[in-house]
Amino acid sequence: MSAPATATSAATPGRSPYLAMILAWLVPGLGHYYLGLRRRAAAFAVIVVVTFVLGLSFQGRLYSIEQGQPLTILATFAVFGTGLLNIAARLFSENPGGTILSVTYEYGCAYLLTAGLMNLLLVLDAWDIATGRKR
Amino acid sequence: MTVLPALLALVPTDHFLIMALYAVLVSAFFAILWREDRRERWKLFAILVAALVGGGLAVAWLMYPFPK
Repeated sequence: MSAPATATSAATPGRSPYLAMILAWLVPGLGHYYLGLRRRAAAFAVIVVVTFVLGLSFQGRLYSIEQGQPLTILATFAVFGTGLLNIAARLFSENPGGTILSVTYEYGCAYLLTAGLMNLLLVLDAWDIATGRKR
Repeated sequence: MTVLPALLALVPTDHFLIMALYAVLVSAFFAILWREDRRERWKLFAILVAALVGGGLAVAWLMYPFPK
């Protein structure tokens, strides 16, 4: 990722890279939609949302930072990658900590972490497209 | 947890199915992210699914002698 000043002439005209990144973080696919890539945006939105919802359904855990557990910092960062999805899930979920005794708990955690990390990649991708480093 | 209760009954608990579903989702994501040509996307998707599912089965097979 480079500064906007180094963007090539292929940068998306009239589109702010910063706004694209913020939108991409808030709602999966929205950054790409803002940049005019509607089909790609729809595909990314479906993939990330389905992964996140399945993670919740598998009773995975929406991580929070815990003292004495440094890895929860990374996990929390990953889960927060899904933006509003994560916030909404924490607000409306009856069990954001997951069910550790559930047979699908570990899978649920993996799905939730992956959804967040995928969306963080989409944030970077939106930046690259907006600055002309990628089509 | 009651997220989309109607769909909860459809949620699989079979380990292989969950792993295969994960492989499909991740492979589709990276195929769309990394490739622009339609044919190239399908090719990468197939490679990634095969690698993830095959790799998972291989690791499971290697762990089989060590159940604990």
